Amino acid sequence: MASKSKADPNKKPKGRGFFGSIGKFFSDFVKRFADGSIGTKLSHFIFGAGNFYHKQYVKGALFLLLQIAILAFMILCPTINGTPYGYKALANLTLKNVTEGGQFDPVSGKFAEFSSNCQLMVLFGFVTIAVIIIYFIIWNKNIESSYKADMDRKVGKKPSTIGEDVKTLFDQKFHITMLTPTCIAALVFTVLPTVFMIALAFTSYNDPDMNAAGTKLFGWNGIENFKSVFTGEGSLGVEIKNRFLPVLGWTFIWAIFATLTCYFGGIILALLINKKGLKGKKIFRTIFILTIAVPQFISLLAVRNLLGEYGPINSLLQNLGWIKEPIGFLGQNPGDSEVLAKIMVIIVNMWVGIPYTMLMTSGILMNIPTDLYEAARVDGASTTKMFFKITLPYVVFITTPYLISSFVGNLNSFNTIFLLTGGSPTYPGYAAGGTDLLVTWLYKVTIEQGAYNTGAVIGIFTFLITATITLVTYRRSKAYNEEDTFQ
Amino acid sequence: MSNNLRPMKIKSQSRNRRVSLGVTYTILIVLSIIWLVPLIWIVLSAFRCEYHADGTFIGRVTSNFFPKQFGLKNFTDLFTANYCGVPNAFPRWMLNTLIVAAADCVISTFLVLSVAYCMSKLKFKLRKPFMNVAMIIGLFPSFMSMIAIYFLLKSIGLSGNTENPALSLVGLIFAYSAGAGLGFQVAKGFFDVIPNALVESAKLDGCTNFKIFRKIILPLAKPIIIYQALMSFTGPWMDFIFARVIIGAKNPEYWTVSVGLYSLLFGSSFSDANLFTQFAAGCVIVAIPIVTLFMFLQKYYVEGVTAGAVKG
Amino acid sequence: MKKLFAILLAVLMTATMFVGCGGSSGNEGETGEKDDGVIRIWVGEESADFYQKKCDEYTAAHPEFGYKIEVKGMDTGSVAGTITQDPTAAADIFTVAHDNIGKLAATQCAKPITDETLIAQVLADNPESFQKVIYSNTNGQTYLYGVPYISQALLLYYNKSMVTEEQAKSFEGLREAAQAAGTKAITVTGDDGFNMSFALLARKVSDHSTTVKIYEGADPAAGGSKGECNCQGDDTVAVYRWLQTYAADPNGFKWPSSDGWDADLDKNNLGALAVIGGAWHYNTAKAALGETNLGITLIPTFELTPESVEGLSSVSAGDVFRGGSFADCKCFMINAYSAGSKYAKEQELLMYLSGKEVQNASYLECMNVPAYVGAADFIKQCFEEGKVTESQYNLAATQVSMAEWGIPQPFVTGTLNTYYYSKNAPAVLRAIIDQTAYPTTGDILVQDTTSLEGVRKALYLVEYLWMHGVAPKEFPASLPDKA
Repeated sequence: MASKSKADPNKKPKGRGFFGSIGKFFSDFVKRFADGSIGTKLSHFIFGAGNFYHKQYVKGALFLLLQIAILAFMILCPTINGTPYGYKALANLTLKNVTEGGQFDPVSGKFAEFSSNCQLMVLFGFVTIAVIIIYFIIWNKNIESSYKADMDRKVGKKPSTIGEDVKTLFDQKFHITMLTPTCIAALVFTVLPTVFMIALAFTSYNDPDMNAAGTKLFGWNGIENFKSVFTGEGSLGVEIKNRFLPVLGWTFIWAIFATLTCYFGGIILALLINKKGLKGKKIFRTIFILTIAVPQFISLLAVRNLLGEYGPINSLLQNLGWIKEPIGFLGQNPGDSEVLAKIMVIIVNMWVGIPYTMLMTSGILMNIPTDLYEAARVDGASTTKMFFKITLPYVVFITTPYLISSFVGNLNSFNTIFLLTGGSPTYPGYAAGGTDLLVTWLYKVTIEQGAYNTGAVIGIFTFLITATITLVTYRRSKAYNEEDTFQ
Repeated sequence: MSNNLRPMKIKSQSRNRRVSLGVTYTILIVLSIIWLVPLIWIVLSAFRCEYHADGTFIGRVTSNFFPKQFGLKNFTDLFTANYCGVPNAFPRWMLNTLIVAAADCVISTFLVLSVAYCMSKLKFKLRKPFMNVAMIIGLFPSFMSMIAIYFLLKSIGLSGNTENPALSLVGLIFAYSAGAGLGFQVAKGFFDVIPNALVESAKLDGCTNFKIFRKIILPLAKPIIIYQALMSFTGPWMDFIFARVIIGAKNPEYWTVSVGLYSLLFGSSFSDANLFTQFAAGCVIVAIPIVTLFMFLQKYYVEGVTAGAVKG
Repeated sequence: MKKLFAILLAVLMTATMFVGCGGSSGNEGETGEKDDGVIRIWVGEESADFYQKKCDEYTAAHPEFGYKIEVKGMDTGSVAGTITQDPTAAADIFTVAHDNIGKLAATQCAKPITDETLIAQVLADNPESFQKVIYSNTNGQTYLYGVPYISQALLLYYNKSMVTEEQAKSFEGLREAAQAAGTKAITVTGDDGFNMSFALLARKVSDHSTTVKIYEGADPAAGGSKGECNCQGDDTVAVYRWLQTYAADPNGFKWPSSDGWDADLDKNNLGALAVIGGAWHYNTAKAALGETNLGITLIPTFELTPESVEGLSSVSAGDVFRGGSFADCKCFMINAYSAGSKYAKEQELLMYLSGKEVQNASYLECMNVPAYVGAADFIKQCFEEGKVTESQYNLAATQVSMAEWGIPQPFVTGTLNTYYYSKNAPAVLRAIIDQTAYPTTGDILVQDTTSLEGVRKALYLVEYLWMHGVAPKEFPASLPDKA
């Protein structure tokens, strides 16, 4: 985190860099240990000792309780489904001491020794690491708290009571109260799972291979899975090697077209609807907003069926005599045109996405200062000219952040592809079809095929791409750099 | 004005204008039709009631856009049929979704508001790092963590619990709402617009931050609260990937409505699937409340979207 | 500092979440499943109600049984995958097609059958072909794992209003009907390995020999040799060469449409006149065609054309083959993670559920074709007594006779047959029929499947995948490389 704020060009000068902060952190420790009271010194070993020393009993008890709870967690190693937490989980993280399920005992109907659960071993290992980090944070806080009481004493102030402490949680420290639920929830359900999946990229966790080898165990695999992108080795190696670039390329083409078509389409639609003198604006707006309101899985599946081989559109075209054989619009039958399927997804996506931009730009269009237009009209500018010289630049200027976020959103646009084509046309032997994006490919590889390690590799690449684009553009954007000035 | 001086020009101008308005109307009407066709088709299919010569009901997609016969059979079937071995499956799915959506709505909205307020109106040391981390985490594809969330929920009994599979609905609520706080950007954009002077003056009057939040910010934040609530309430009605993984194929009685409807359409190679007309009927039932809610709260939605877009 | 409060909350929450729930299952050596007095069973969706009823009858008649039974319908196609992914969340007893037994046993998701009387019943009731495939191997020991209760084989559904009974007997006849109707003759219900077995397992009508020999001579009960697998025979090559032309014919074979194979059958669409499918497709086929219009018969025969035997020595034009089928049995299996204390009762229950009486009843109520020897007589008797309609009788009777033209999906020592699926062998077969290139693992690539050489290579690849689970590093210098 500290390194990140270092990269921030707008950072207020703090007088020390990343290493300086670390140095300060350690010198603080030495200082606190040397200067602190006996309570503070004791706090380095027994949490809350300093608070007891300063008669802050409740606080001290809380600290002590936390220490005992965490130490108990670490030493007693509670188990879930036979997989332990605590120090044993750290040892398990190596995935070395695993037991394959043993001999079956027909009499008891049990397997004598049950197989290790590598997934849980990795997961619990990370949970334990998180707990250790929390332990040290508490340790630091407990010393800090005691030292602060020391200092208060020195200047003749009474150390804060628990009541005062609680009060500050609703005032100066209100952000702590407010952020804690999110931090816990995000730590457990977002950060931890993400770390876990990143770790899987370095393992041999791959259901098809493990089933074939008749095992439920996997181990660490180094960077083998990343290498297979280039070498084509490994269970899904050929898939990764041959399909990675096409899928990546299409993901970008898709994101660019999907973003631009919806963006400009939306602006044009907004202009049409907001045209002066047009009646029934509200009705038109409502019609277009309907597609936003109807859940996507309904509208997209409806379109998919409309465009099906025997669907109404194909049969209409056939009845009109325009085509003889049904057209595979969405490439559902192998041999159907991949290009057509790609064009169709982009077109259908316009149907989904244009109303969003329309909604958003409507408000902006109405706020364009009218004197700009007046001035242009006086100069004899045509409507087209005014659109390109005034309207468009104005809207684009204001909605640049949206343009970026919708580009990133489209890179990861799972629903449209999954519901519309499911990635087809498919190619025999490959999971990734012609219209698959990185995310849908990731879904197929992990959820459908169970090749979690390969999936994690794809996921990491996806992340790197979106992160690079976002960071580069976002950091340059006005919204980020002037973030503080808005307040 | 100069009307009297150049009547001819004005006349041609107004004709031009009429022509261009006419063109606009034509384009908009054509576009409206294009936009409505799939939705109308779903509604028509929901009321489609066609039979083979020997009386077998035709539940699949047919090539005719307009049904040859109308009826309510799809709806009655939908509410009484036994899908995937679950009696009255559809009403159950609706109820499950309602429970999850309501809980998700409350939790997510609370989390988002609390984070957005902190990020916008409070100053503290880790503010910027927190925002950066939140943004970076948001960039990981969500399926990446899905399997891990499943293992996690399972290890604490909130998913894949054979004795009490209903708990997977609780797990689903966690999965939906736990990360919500990290999506605070839109709400923050909204809070940023609330003048800081308002907060400062309250502080001078001795208000605590908590009081400011409760008494000043929350009343002003009504549009964004409604926007967030709307978003998080409609989410569970639309998602089916998370629901499918966390509740699992083996617990059809605890599916949410989108998982259920998806299974009506696709089923599997080993069962009689493609109950398209019943799927359509289900879609109509699901869409009606959501669309109504949406239309009703449209103003707030637009406000939220615009706030998010302009601020990034 | 007051972060204390926050951290306390955090840790307490995390701690209660992780520690609180963990306390109960401390004994690491065991499966960790508690015995809660309920035995849970997963069966196919179509027969869940039936088995619940039967189980209730059983517990009512045997109060000493002591367990409540809960039956739930599952999608049989994907259930094996669900179980291997997470056996702890699966039912105590589940049902799968027998070819999953090897995988489930090898991944220790299933417990073997140990009850002597149950084993005796299984061996007495079931045909030898099934007996071969319900064993598997755990740590060097061979056990019986699956208890068969339904048999499955492919058959032909056709549109009676467009195809005569005579035409439905051969692929040529079907094509004739398709020419008249201006459509395609035949489709399949899917391109997976099971459906594609109609061509792979075609049998010569004159001597009833299969073209492909899979694991022939293998002895799974001994857990030993894989036996022989031969997909390179001239007959196999000829069959696929023939199918290539049939698929290229404007009135020949077509893959199912994106709207589903039943959309192809529908008279409004008329994409194809017939479909090769299983008994479980009956209701869908009926819905597409209407019961009076629905014909059911054996998979048709076909005659090798002169082009298809070009360059092949041991087959000649005019040889007649019949499309074959994997003849599977669906089996009950016991979950390895089911509590040990339930084990005896579970086996007792399976005695009852796989007994002839329940199998017969399941035929009458759910159209499940029984697996035991002599089921054909019962089926006939039911028809004569008017208990089933003609098309229902046809369905069961055809399937029973189709079983004579089929062989059970083989698996030897655990996981070999899953290679056929997981390593995409069916996709190679599809590539042959479509005459497209096929990408594969390793460096070798079947560049073209239009030539005789290409077909030979592709079939060699299928054989190699089946035997070894990986693609070969290179092709032999000349094919075939065995006699």
